[in-house]
Formats: sequence, structure tokens, C-alpha cells
Amino acid sequence: MSERMNIVTREENSPELTRQGVVITPLVDIFENDEEILLFADLPGVRQENLSVNLENNSLTIAGSRTLETRNQALFEEFGDAEYRRVFSMPQGIDTETVKAELKDGVLRLHLPKSEALKPRQIEVKAG
Amino acid sequence: MLTRWDDVDRMFQAMDVFRNRMNRLFTDFDRGWGLMPEQAVIAGWPRTNLYDAGDHLEVRVELPGITAQDLNVRVQGNSLEISGERKSLTPEGYSVHRQERGEAGFSRRFTLPVEVQADQVEAVLQNGILSLRLPKAESARPRKIEIKTE
Repeated sequence: MSERMNIVTREENSPELTRQGVVITPLVDIFENDEEILLFADLPGVRQENLSVNLENNSLTIAGSRTLETRNQALFEEFGDAEYRRVFSMPQGIDTETVKAELKDGVLRLHLPKSEALKPRQIEVKAG
Repeated sequence: MLTRWDDVDRMFQAMDVFRNRMNRLFTDFDRGWGLMPEQAVIAGWPRTNLYDAGDHLEVRVELPGITAQDLNVRVQGNSLEISGERKSLTPEGYSVHRQERGEAGFSRRFTLPVEVQADQVEAVLQNGILSLRLPKAESARPRKIEIKTE
């Protein structure tokens, strides 16, 4: 029996396991206008220092974590420490240099401006 | 026929995966709504924790994107009501690609296990989490009993 247990539990003891806990996919809203793509993500409890937004190879990764600092006895608990993570693939033509991100009231607001080439343009029609 | 230890190993791994999934069943169900936008607003929203800290109760509520002005907290005796409204989220002049975050009003009422002093409740809203500190009524506080020796 103990040998069996070893086989069963070995996977969990493997050194590759670097983190544990709940990973939440944050809910997002995505809007677009001529100038930019605007993304809102719900990240309740995440502090600015625990949040990272990465743009790499046309993929946008939002990752954050929260810890609830309480040691009191829980009478009921519907949420807890968690990790937030969500990856989006970005369309071509986002001006990565001017991306802006704000975190307010547990909501991340991400402005992804379109590069000049992608903005709609009115073509002037000349009478010949 | 199992001929190698590899096979045995694999079989146990498969069982392990199954067992883990069973263990996670409830948490998955709990956060599953993140992936089902049409069911985003569930009955138990906003999610709430309640802690007992001896002389006071502590409540934490997940309220992303809600400002103090849009939030009402009412306490009376042993009943607590949290209600509010999430303002319309669609910014003007934008087209919608994806909308998963709910925007309706919400209200949730709790019966606390003990009476609290309603006039001394402290509420802090920070990073989208509301923290309430509800001092217990005098009669509900834990008391240290002095033991006399004769």
C-alpha cells in the first residue's frame, strides 16, 4: 500500500510544481473605437505591486495575485487568496509604446492605442 | 496486460488526475461563472466572507469597480444589508467586443450570528474589496470567566 501511495503522490511532490492555489480568470469588457482598444478587467483585492501586464509576441498577459490578510476564524468564506491570469492575443497594429494601464477600485483599465497605420482614414476624392 | 512499471505508473497518474478533478469540483463550480458570461450575475453576488474575531465580526465583500457613493451598507441588530449599483460601463463612442462584467444593481442581506453595535461599524473600501468591522453588542462578547479557588 505504501508503495502505491508513493506512486500516486509522486506527481504532487515533483519540483516542477511552483505554485498552488486557485487561479481565476478575470472577467473583462473589451471596447473599441477609432483611436484605441479599451479593456476593463475585474481584479478585486489585487494591489498595484502585485499586478503585471505583459505585452509580448502579440500576446497580452494580465497576471495578478491577492492575499486577504486575516487570521480570524471564518464563519463562511466565499472567496480567498487567489491568482488572476488571462492571456489575450493582440491584433496587429497596436502601438505598444503608448499602452496605458490604470488600476482603480479593483478594476484594471487598459488603453491600447492603435498605430497610425491602422486608424481609419477618410480618402479625399478629387475631381479630375 | 500490464508489462512495465511505466504502465502502472500511467494508470495511477490517470487516477490521480481524476481524483484531483473531483477535489476541485466545487471550486471549479464556484468560479466557473468566469467563463460563462451569460450567467455572470449569480444569486450569491457579491461574494462575501464572514469572520469572527472575538469582540467583533469582520466582513469582506468583493466589489470591483464600485465606488463608495454607489454603495449602501445598512446594519440593524443582527441583520446586515449590502446594496449598490454598478454604473453603466460602456464608455461613449466605443463599440463592444466583449462584455462579461455585469452591470446591474445588487443587494444582499445577511443574518449575523450575533447582535452588533450598529453605530460603531467601520467600513473601508479598498482595491475593490469592502471590509466591515462590526463590534459585537456587549451581551454577545466573549467573557473571560474568573475561576476562584477556595
